[in-house]
Amino acid sequence: MDGGSGNEDLFDGIVMADERFRGEGYREGFERGTHRGLQDGRRHGASHGAQLSTEISFYYGFSITWKCILQHKTDMKSRKRMKALQSLLDMIQNSPHDDPHSSTLQEDMDKLRAKFRQVCSMLNIPTDFKDYVRNSESTSF
Amino acid sequence: MLFVLYIWESFFSLLLNLTFTSLKMSWVKVLSHNGEDVFDECADDISLLSREWTSIMKKRVRDGYVDGVDAGEEASLQVGFKLGFREGAAQTAAVGRLKGIVSALLCWSRIQHPESASPASVTELLQQIAQYESTVLDGIRKALENPPPSVSSVSESMEDLEVEQANSSCCGEGCKETASGCCRGGEKMDLDAPNKQQKSSSGSTGCASSSSEGLNCLLQRCMDLVSELGLPQELNDHIQELKNLK
Repeated sequence: MDGGSGNEDLFDGIVMADERFRGEGYREGFERGTHRGLQDGRRHGASHGAQLSTEISFYYGFSITWKCILQHKTDMKSRKRMKALQSLLDMIQNSPHDDPHSSTLQEDMDKLRAKFRQVCSMLNIPTDFKDYVRNSESTSF
Repeated sequence: MLFVLYIWESFFSLLLNLTFTSLKMSWVKVLSHNGEDVFDECADDISLLSREWTSIMKKRVRDGYVDGVDAGEEASLQVGFKLGFREGAAQTAAVGRLKGIVSALLCWSRIQHPESASPASVTELLQQIAQYESTVLDGIRKALENPPPSVSSVSESMEDLEVEQANSSCCGEGCKETASGCCRGGEKMDLDAPNKQQKSSSGSTGCASSSSEGLNCLLQRCMDLVSELGLPQELNDHIQELKNLK
């Protein structure tokens, strides 16, 4: 027991240790939290990404097929249809769907769906088919 | 006075005696302990203080830990989401397109022959694709709802047992990605690889339900159908492309 200086050390120690222990816990917790956040985020992201991609890919496959079917037709109607299809395809290719935080994602999707509906009506595709397609389509957006 | 001196001397010799007798070492302890008797009260205080100190510091560690977890989660959630978003999107891109293609074929054949029923080959294929797709989506959804016997829970209980977790050397089967990026292999199991992902898939007729074979088979049938319907070869090129998309 060497009195005064010991106490000072102790107080110093207390102040330092307080921070040190807290810091230790924090680092460990941060690592765990990062790990967990990544996992949780990844699972949620996968679910959203898969849904969105399902829908967009569907539009893409649909349009590309119709484009192939109509490509050699030269009548006015077919050309109009081709134009609409091409613009749908362009929309798909030009909007950045791989960024879930994009501020325009929702807007882009709305436009895309509207365009798809327009294309369908131009192709005289009956609504019951659209319903069928869209129901089996995930889209809980 | 002499008497006192005598007593003192004999006490001293006794003491020496005791000291040098190994058997009596405990006595020495007792004696020396007794010698510090004055500090006993203080010693109690100190042990109390040190207990209190320990518990306060443990609490500090815990507080720090809790704050750390929150901060870590907050910092990585978006990163994880973005990563998963792409992975999930990649998993459904091929089957989504295929479904779009066959749906278009169905529409086309209905328009071509409005009075007759749609060809069974097309509707059947579409059904199988839809089934395949929902299997993929279900797999992802399941992973979301019940995370695979996740490391986070395992490691947390390990933590409770105060077992040091060796993040850097992990990579077992259930192991998940860590911040340091080790173990991507573990994670791949449920997210990365569409091939593995779809192992549990449909079991419908025709195409093997398992993994990429299933999708390849569906693609092949779709290409056959395109030829059968007499549609341009270019469409088959697009379908062929999907093989690389997976």
